[in-house]
Amino acid sequence: MKRISAYSISLLLILISNFKQVKAQDTIVFPLKIKVGFEVSGPAIYYSDKKNLNSEGYISADFNEKVSIVIGGGYLNYNYSQYNYQYLNKGVFARAGADFNLLKPEKALGKYWAGIGLRYSVSHFSSEVPSFQKDNYWGTATSSVVQKTDWGHFLEVSPGVRAEVFRNFSIGWTISLRMLLYSSTGNDLRPIYFPGFGKGADKFNSGISYFIVWNIPYKKIKVIIEKEVPEEPEDTSQPGNIQQTNVNRP
Amino acid sequence: MRKLFQGSLIIFLSGLVLIFLSCTPLSCIGETESYVKASLYDKVLKKLHSPDSLTMYGLNMETSKLYDKTLNVQPAHIPLNASATYCTYIIRIDGLTDTLKFWYNSYPHLISKECGYTYYHTLDSLTFTNHLIDTVLIRNKRVTTINEENIRIFY
Repeated sequence: MKRISAYSISLLLILISNFKQVKAQDTIVFPLKIKVGFEVSGPAIYYSDKKNLNSEGYISADFNEKVSIVIGGGYLNYNYSQYNYQYLNKGVFARAGADFNLLKPEKALGKYWAGIGLRYSVSHFSSEVPSFQKDNYWGTATSSVVQKTDWGHFLEVSPGVRAEVFRNFSIGWTISLRMLLYSSTGNDLRPIYFPGFGKGADKFNSGISYFIVWNIPYKKIKVIIEKEVPEEPEDTSQPGNIQQTNVNRP
Repeated sequence: MRKLFQGSLIIFLSGLVLIFLSCTPLSCIGETESYVKASLYDKVLKKLHSPDSLTMYGLNMETSKLYDKTLNVQPAHIPLNASATYCTYIIRIDGLTDTLKFWYNSYPHLISKECGYTYYHTLDSLTFTNHLIDTVLIRNKRVTTINEENIRIFY
């Protein structure tokens, strides 16, 4: 009986030690971060043309190693003119949603992000057409559209990449694919361009944003990673071979 | 460190490619004029019937003809004067002359960023003389750039 107990305890200890060893190998420490991002191409373009200012930013917090909660917003002052009209739009927008990192935690390590973001956005803006003209058979008709305030609601899917280039600083870009859900402008005087969405004449729109991001680590979590188990090679040997193998054994 | 640099470089260069792709300017494509689309019908057979000769011009604009003895017009495209609430056309079909007067409202409509704005119209009513024209029916009051029939002229 004593021998059986000793044997059982030994077996249990071996199993526990092996289990602990496996767990230690399959977890990594993953830093969760609060990220503050600024879009850089808008101010850069404004610096060069002194015409249209589009500035935006966001704050996100890692919920876990895969998902971040994001809120953001921005401002647009847009001025466009061509031979037959002039257009002004000024306003703000807000976004809320989530980012999903498609990289494995052992690859991402809290420094790299390649994934997809989903956002719901609301834009509030005032637009005006100070002058436009139209030529036809009867001559040139000139008119204007007075300033009016409108709302726009849209959904956004934004795949992209980010990488930490210095300690706690990342750069990256996202492609934004937007779908207009509602605009209070009506069909005839759709906005040429409005904050957060871009070209308002289309129901679907796309854009590119370039971000500089400040990362603030706030918590570390242990993430269990799934180790890839190498597949066992298939047994391709023929019955004749087995016989041969058996023959060669001592 | 080298791996990090390579990764960042790839991100930066791929972003540059996207910048160039996103900055391609577009040109104005598509119809930018709003016309009253007028189908011409045989008053007896009630079927589409193109005139052998159609001449059409605005009142006091004889020197600038919309159609000048044009063959097989179907439908006729008639522009309205956006600076007024009515306009009158002289219409001559197979040598007989009538007048056609449109009453309407005009409002601006955005075509696209590239094309800018045009005027759409809502037809209120129209009057006409009866030298050759028998009847004119309004089928669709909204006069837009879309190719939809607005009126039918029976002659």
